[in-house]
Amino acid sequence: MHIQEENRRVFIPAVRMPEKIRVTCFLLLLLIAPNLYAQNQPMINANLRGQVIDSKTKEPLIGATVRIKGTTNGATTDVEGKFALVTGQKLPFILQVNYVGYEAAEVEVATSPATISLRELNQDLNDVVVVGYGTQKKVNLTGSVSTIEQKTLANRPITNSTQALQNVPGVFTNQTKGRPGADGASIRIRGSGTLNNNNPLVLVDGIEYPLGDVNPGDIESITVLKDAASAAIYGNRAANGVILVKTKGGRKGVFSLDYSFYAGSQQATQFPDVVTNTVEYMEGKNRALANEGKPAESSQALINEFRTGTDPFIYPNTNWFDLMFRNAAIQEHNLRLSGGSEKTTFSVSLGYLDQEGIMIETLGKRYSLNANVNADITKKLRVGAAITGNFWHSKESAYSADDGNGEGGLMGLTYRGLPFQTAYAQDGSYADQWIRVPGHNFFRNTVALSKEGFNKRDQFRTLANLFGEYQLPFNIRYKTTLAANLMYGINKYNYPAINLTNPKTGVITPIGNTPARGVRQASENAINLTNFHTLTWEQRFGQHNFNALAGFSIESFRDADFSAYNQGYLGNDLEELNAGSTSPQVTGRSGLSKLQSYFGRINYNYRERYLFEANFRYDGSSRFAEGNRWGFFPSFSAGWRLSEESFLKGTGIFDNLKLRASYGQLGNQNLPLFSYVDAISLGQNYNFNGSVVSGAAITQVADPNITWETTAMTDVGIEGSFLRGRMNFEFDWFSKQTTNILRQISIPGQVGNLAGPVRNIGAVSNRGFELTLGWKDAFKHFRYNIDANITKVTNQVTNLNGQRYFSGNTIIQEGSPIDSFFGLEAEGIFQSAAEVAASPFQNTGTQPGDLRYRDVDGNNIIDNNDRVVIGNSIPKYVYGFSGGIGWKNFDFSFIFQGLQDVDTYLTGNLAQPFKNGAGVTRDWLTDSWTPQNPFARLPRLTTSNGYPQNFQTSGFWVRDASYLRLKNVQLAYTLPQKWTLKAGVSLLKVFMNAQNYLTITNFKFSDPERNLTRADLIEYPNAKTITAGLNLSLK
Amino acid sequence: MKKYLYLLFLLPVLPACQNFLDVTPTDRFTQDTYWRTKDQAEAALNATYAALFYNVYAAGSVYTDALTPNSYQYNNEYNLISRGLHNAATGFFNDAWNGSYRGIGRANNLLANIDQVPMDVALKERFKAEAKFLRALFYLPLWNYFGGAPLITSATDFENQASLPRNKPEELLAQILKDLDEAGSGTALPLSYSGTDKGRATRGAALALKARVLLYASRWAEAADAAKQMMDLKSHNLFPDYRGIFFLENEGNTEVIFDLQYRFPEFTHSLDISLDQQLGSAPLPDLLNDYYATDGRPISSSAVYNAQRPYENRDSRLQATIIVPGSQFKGATVTPVQYPSTGLGMKKYTIFKDNERPVAAPTSGTSELNYILLRYADVLLMYAEAKNEATGPEQSIYDALNLIRTRAKMPAVSAGQSRDQLREEIRHERRIELAGEGLYYNDLRRWRKADQLLNGDVRNLAGNRIDSRQFNAARDYLWPVPSIAIQNNPALSQNPGYNK
Repeated sequence: MHIQEENRRVFIPAVRMPEKIRVTCFLLLLLIAPNLYAQNQPMINANLRGQVIDSKTKEPLIGATVRIKGTTNGATTDVEGKFALVTGQKLPFILQVNYVGYEAAEVEVATSPATISLRELNQDLNDVVVVGYGTQKKVNLTGSVSTIEQKTLANRPITNSTQALQNVPGVFTNQTKGRPGADGASIRIRGSGTLNNNNPLVLVDGIEYPLGDVNPGDIESITVLKDAASAAIYGNRAANGVILVKTKGGRKGVFSLDYSFYAGSQQATQFPDVVTNTVEYMEGKNRALANEGKPAESSQALINEFRTGTDPFIYPNTNWFDLMFRNAAIQEHNLRLSGGSEKTTFSVSLGYLDQEGIMIETLGKRYSLNANVNADITKKLRVGAAITGNFWHSKESAYSADDGNGEGGLMGLTYRGLPFQTAYAQDGSYADQWIRVPGHNFFRNTVALSKEGFNKRDQFRTLANLFGEYQLPFNIRYKTTLAANLMYGINKYNYPAINLTNPKTGVITPIGNTPARGVRQASENAINLTNFHTLTWEQRFGQHNFNALAGFSIESFRDADFSAYNQGYLGNDLEELNAGSTSPQVTGRSGLSKLQSYFGRINYNYRERYLFEANFRYDGSSRFAEGNRWGFFPSFSAGWRLSEESFLKGTGIFDNLKLRASYGQLGNQNLPLFSYVDAISLGQNYNFNGSVVSGAAITQVADPNITWETTAMTDVGIEGSFLRGRMNFEFDWFSKQTTNILRQISIPGQVGNLAGPVRNIGAVSNRGFELTLGWKDAFKHFRYNIDANITKVTNQVTNLNGQRYFSGNTIIQEGSPIDSFFGLEAEGIFQSAAEVAASPFQNTGTQPGDLRYRDVDGNNIIDNNDRVVIGNSIPKYVYGFSGGIGWKNFDFSFIFQGLQDVDTYLTGNLAQPFKNGAGVTRDWLTDSWTPQNPFARLPRLTTSNGYPQNFQTSGFWVRDASYLRLKNVQLAYTLPQKWTLKAGVSLLKVFMNAQNYLTITNFKFSDPERNLTRADLIEYPNAKTITAGLNLSLK
Repeated sequence: MKKYLYLLFLLPVLPACQNFLDVTPTDRFTQDTYWRTKDQAEAALNATYAALFYNVYAAGSVYTDALTPNSYQYNNEYNLISRGLHNAATGFFNDAWNGSYRGIGRANNLLANIDQVPMDVALKERFKAEAKFLRALFYLPLWNYFGGAPLITSATDFENQASLPRNKPEELLAQILKDLDEAGSGTALPLSYSGTDKGRATRGAALALKARVLLYASRWAEAADAAKQMMDLKSHNLFPDYRGIFFLENEGNTEVIFDLQYRFPEFTHSLDISLDQQLGSAPLPDLLNDYYATDGRPISSSAVYNAQRPYENRDSRLQATIIVPGSQFKGATVTPVQYPSTGLGMKKYTIFKDNERPVAAPTSGTSELNYILLRYADVLLMYAEAKNEATGPEQSIYDALNLIRTRAKMPAVSAGQSRDQLREEIRHERRIELAGEGLYYNDLRRWRKADQLLNGDVRNLAGNRIDSRQFNAARDYLWPVPSIAIQNNPALSQNPGYNK
């Protein structure tokens, strides 16, 4: 027995597996565990044969695992559901049988052959979900949670795990950009409860970690804690909801090798309809200037020259979106080895994503690793470790592919591109513009800026997680977890020197107004350490079930960055800081914050019928002044499973029917470090006679009394499933009242032009409901399901102590949603000078064709006091539906996502005509007011800078951003197992996917899935993606 | 071996002591720990100088010439203002308003706290005088452009200062003059500095600024007196080369009384690319034609002027200020289409030489030429103007003017003019000498000439209309109080004719 005990600690792969692997494992076993066979030899060489079948259909189950309890001796069923075991034991004994989607069975076998029937799982009843510091049976939950299983993510070209939360009830995901390596979606759970960061807390295997840095292929499940009852155990960071991610681990007795792969192509979803014909552009600009009373910019001679010119290098009609974007390849591979013995389970996976960007010369690559080991050292002691890591490499232009460099980034420059400019001159060198127009005094050729120089980013992030669990007397378990979340990132910018050739004259000049040739290297690092300890207790007294948890945790968050820059390079190919010689610059900083917390939970149920739960967390945060640091966040919830009552249980209608209600408080500490300190900032430097001298000044008012934002949340829900799991529904009504919201307020400039303090300024309410309905059924070879969900959130600022807070074109005021668009009300377009004269005074120079603004305060002058709320950037309805149809081995599925009742406001280049020297969209040439076209949709054509009157913030320019999008559609075919098993393959599936291929919206300007409070359009565009791939499993 | 595994549980030793959550900032001081040393007081003073970068007097103020017949900006806010299309929401005014208060707040904090700093008494007095000079400089636009604003002279205090209403312009003026008197009288400020203190406020700077403020207030006798005191310091004189005043290598020359100090790469502006490439302030023919011919006469009556060769035989300051077609600039011949906005380019405040090709093309945020707020030629002209208004023509006025004429290689001003004649001569000389330096707009406003000169068409070198200007005399002599300022402090009143 001593020998056997030793062996338990060694991983012994179980049972039937492909030939090669079997041989390898066999050899391995010979090396490390010769005693196993020695142990078997003297025993009776008894044989057991049998078959595993579905209890209902009597169909054989292929690939079920059969194992003798207490040993690692087992087998997998073959194509006929049959298995054979050399038992080494006398009958009878107990077999453990497992099959995915079926209830696990323990069967005492007394004869051979044995037939074992397995019952298909009614998953809804047996699902276990991850909750704060533990797991719970879903039917016993009293809070509101949503879960996403791995299978709903499988095979979709999800490049960032944040995209996995699409179509989850109560969750609004918004993927605003497709930039490789930085295409995460923002996540909002039940509206916006704060004026600050609304991002939920994400915990991976219990530790705070960015969701975007988890390989989607490594995710076992995601749980979204939406109400206070579920989230209160995370106290001061939980106000925006909590997302719990569980990574994949191994299973006892099953060894498997899984491989998945897809490859495909991406292209941009939508660009504005821009005028790309040079003659039309020039004539349009001349018309706009004439309307402003200014002379023409392009002479008739020049226009004629373009009209007749034939050389495409000199007389181009360029569509810059065509030049800057492409169909881009994408591929991803994931390989996982997992398994387990009686005492030990493990899982190791490798992932590789290779994504070309849809913008030329951009790319992202992700290499990821996930490893999980759990071991029962003794009956009482269990230890485990997990490492999740990934390495991102991305490359783009030094000038930023995105909006990172504002108008100077490539997106910004592309949105400024004009049709008379082109990428290359006749000889293949980069082209300059040969026409110089005000606003485009020099040409920053985006193709040249893409191809020369670079910004390479490497980011490594890893989460190392170690835990130990010990069984104490009285059913108490102690667990401690120690984890480190480490990040290291390095950016290297190589700013090149570029020459442009004038295609008409051949004159070569350096590209204008781009940073001088130089190299910047910036590094950042962060380490978050977490240590928590929990005691859990579970006890049953008759029908009374008790569960309790008490815990303590400390966390520290450190981050630092450092950046250096140098100039004076002799060539573009010198990439090191050391190779430069002039103007070195350096910056750096670091930050530290800490959290200390006590938390607990009591859970009681009677017959799994009456459910009660209470949670609390007592949190201390270094972000607040002593005295305001500690906050207490309790929650209470109750549930009543009507379906367990005798009056319903007998009817057989409901599998589950539960009423639940919860109330609790959550906190939000998300504000800049040291906001409470009256700081004197350094870096306010000056120089005298060429020498830099240090300067220090107060730059911000501090409020030492700031404290937590507190969100009180009430949730009442009903959920049920009936007709043997065919139909299910869930309805939640919620009310989220946030008080003491923190906001940096703006203060009058006369107070030293200081930034305003962060203050607790008032209260915001989010009220609404979530409704989920699902139906699934199957007959014979045909199966289908449909699920739909809708969330309504009404956001309203309820109290600001009478204040109003302005920020650009938005306002925060009592009675309106947070950050409502605030501007003049447009009443239409003036048709005549008489009409202008008769109306309240608009502005000097108002003419027919201009917008007519409403004089809200009735003082006969249009000014700031006439502004009203004109739009709302928080969607009122977020909805989605998904479904699937399966026939035999074919599966088809789709996911739709939609928003309704939401606005956005654009003021950037191309959103307004000829803004900052940029081009114009076609509708301005065809559908703007002229005396001959008085019923046009748009006011008269002017440049927006030259005549801002029509471009004041007004309701006229509020755009409806509602949309319905086919997020994903997938068709898959699973090869029949009876073929594949012969090759030792337990699963082989091929599939095709299309992502973002259909969008129904009135917002035609760009992709409606955008950052709705953003005024410009220069985020890296979203992609629509088409992919195909396969899944392969060996067991 | 197994029992050792239990040590795992001991690994995380709980640092759960009382002060686990105490974290102090490591990148900044706090109010409680500041004002202890001379270095800290000096840093606070330096930060007050640094606020000049955000002020309406930063290098960008050269663009205010584009609000006058001197030059033209084809887009952006100077174009809007010149066309009378601005209003209280125009961001430019908010920047000017806030930029002043940034410096005022910093100066106030220094003056309120420096007494508790243990340091050399003479140095402390100098720091105070510098701060007062700067505070006066920051209040000047609030008085001059906005016509009154909240007068705040105590340390920044959000609770007590946020809702203060505007003070009358006279109250601001009195405070400005009081600060300048305190800074400029006595010996708290030296006549000059050496080494890395060069660039700080001098006694001459305080007097010159005082002269300017009094000139703007039309308090002629006092203005002439202040200018005379400054001249009598003998601390400055004219730099021999007019164009060279604005070359990098001549920064801080003997003519410079006070300048805003730029340095690449930390403290930069963009005037090189803006003036040369982006046409931020393109000279107009109206200015071009106002330069006398070398005989000291207007081109309309000059014998040496040839309309076919209009750039020959002209005041040497013309081509030191304006880039004209056919001339040499940046080592090449200027083509007729090189400056498409008006046909002319602004040379002053670019660092380019006429006969040298620049090593690299300028880019935004890489220019480092100091912006001169006060130079000696201005003081001479202020003296001449104020003295003429106060007492009528006298020899000291001709002397001052002729110093400037001589440097420009131009004939002396004709003697024996009447007060009115001399006034016009001085005003002309002032426009020509200081063109492109951001002063003419103020001059036109205080001369009440703006409504005559700032209405009507703008024409380019070819004589074609390129734009039209509007100046509403009932409104535009003052700038609007920014709507954001009123929004954040409703106690602020608005100037006549403007919306809120």
